[in-house]
Amino acid sequence: MNSPAYISLKDVVFSRSGRRIFDGVSLDIPRGKITAIMGPSGTGKTTLLRLIGGQLRPDSGSVVVDGHEVPKLKRKALYSLREKMGMLFQSGALFTDLSVFENVAFPLRVHTKLPEDMIRDVVLMKLEAVGLRGARQLMPSELSGGMTRRVALARSIALDPELIMYDEPFAGQDPIAMGVLVKLIRDLNSSMGLTSVLVSHDVPESLSICHYACIISDGKVIGEGTPEELRAHPSGKVQQFLQGQPDGPVPFHYPAEGAAQDFGLSGGVS
Amino acid sequence: MIGRIAAFGRLGLDIVSSFGRSGRFLAGVLGGVPRPATGFPLLVKQLYAVGVLSLAIIVVSGLFIGMVLGLQGYTILSDYGSEAAIGQMIALTLVRELGPVVTALLFAGRAGSALTAEIGLMKATEQLSSMEMMGVDPLRRVIAPRLWAGFIAMPVLAVIFSVVGIWGGMLVGVDWLGVFEGSFWGNMQSSVDFVDDVLNGVIKSVVFGFVCAWIAVYQGYDCVPTSAGISSATTKTVVYSSLAVLGLDFVLTAVMFGDF
Repeated sequence: MNSPAYISLKDVVFSRSGRRIFDGVSLDIPRGKITAIMGPSGTGKTTLLRLIGGQLRPDSGSVVVDGHEVPKLKRKALYSLREKMGMLFQSGALFTDLSVFENVAFPLRVHTKLPEDMIRDVVLMKLEAVGLRGARQLMPSELSGGMTRRVALARSIALDPELIMYDEPFAGQDPIAMGVLVKLIRDLNSSMGLTSVLVSHDVPESLSICHYACIISDGKVIGEGTPEELRAHPSGKVQQFLQGQPDGPVPFHYPAEGAAQDFGLSGGVS
Repeated sequence: MIGRIAAFGRLGLDIVSSFGRSGRFLAGVLGGVPRPATGFPLLVKQLYAVGVLSLAIIVVSGLFIGMVLGLQGYTILSDYGSEAAIGQMIALTLVRELGPVVTALLFAGRAGSALTAEIGLMKATEQLSSMEMMGVDPLRRVIAPRLWAGFIAMPVLAVIFSVVGIWGGMLVGVDWLGVFEGSFWGNMQSSVDFVDDVLNGVIKSVVFGFVCAWIAVYQGYDCVPTSAGISSATTKTVVYSSLAVLGLDFVLTAVMFGDF
């Protein structure tokens, strides 16, 4: 990893409802590259994005974004740092009472004093970038899942952020929508020089576009490197995850008492 | 036994922490300098949603309650030959008590539950989170206009409720049962005091409006973002608001009219 880190996490410990989600996670996310953070469901991948965005604070450890120690930022500084961040939520999180156009215009109206005709031009350019210029007048309820994410993507790049975080962008998408999103993430990263953080458990798609990837499991980083390095990683857990094997270091069976005892066969069957 | 004491203690802690959270939440909503240019259009939109759209239920309820008061009042007062006092009875009952209280209960059921469900759904669909990540504070952008709208709309609705109620009472008392119109209005004018009755009624509705709106937006913001969580938060809004209104009404009545 040659590029300087845009985001740096050091020994991050985070617990919620008495459950330890991260137990000393350290991770550097390079500037201007696509970094994929992968891991089984429930390992706190989305939580990691919320820690980076300052929506959650770690119990201990540091989260540095572009030189700012996020958990220590005051409210105003945090909100101004967030203006440099875009986030694509898993559900799209479009404002349901606003049209597609107004959704994309929202951050521009709040954070800039651009005249109306310029806002219109910027919004149409962003919608053009995601291929939905023609859908500007639709309401979010009229969009398909893939279109919703594309509009949300247009909205998250409206202010030309330095960092964009994608939360499970491929989950529940059909192959065409998935292909569109893969292309968009790749194109946006290269054309805008964005730093992209991609949280996903879709291994082939994520590895096909990322420059760097890390796998989190049980609150720790169990493997990191370029996609090639990960594919050759010696850890059984990493290989089980990448190849989608049902059983292995992560057992198929949830821990339970002995089957014989559970089925009432103990002692009675020889 | 120990288990019960522990459960009781946990309940106490939960209640105290809930009060603490709602207090901090309120400080977050009301803190900061309001920006009229962006805030005013948002406020107008919410005034329409919680105020104008509640008008139908308020007007219809006010009319029927006024008419029932007219009927009941006439039946009781005519036993004593004092049916001419029906005007003051209806006006005092509505302005002092039923106007603020029934409006607040209806407001909690109609507008409060809608506010909770809307904010809860915005939370569940990550709209509030996405707003935060865009550098926009949802407390100021989403919650504050709704809280202020409830606070402003409630007293206005209560006044409308009382006015329509008095008109309903007149329809029954004067137009139907034949009470002399001059004594209906005359007794009302001579017995209803602006400061003691009307103003105290308005103060009550201001307090109820604030409490109902606060409970509604807090329950929405603090709900568990699932369908069961939103449903439970909506129920809590109606139950807590109703109890708070009835309890506060007793306290306020004791303070306002209790110096015998």
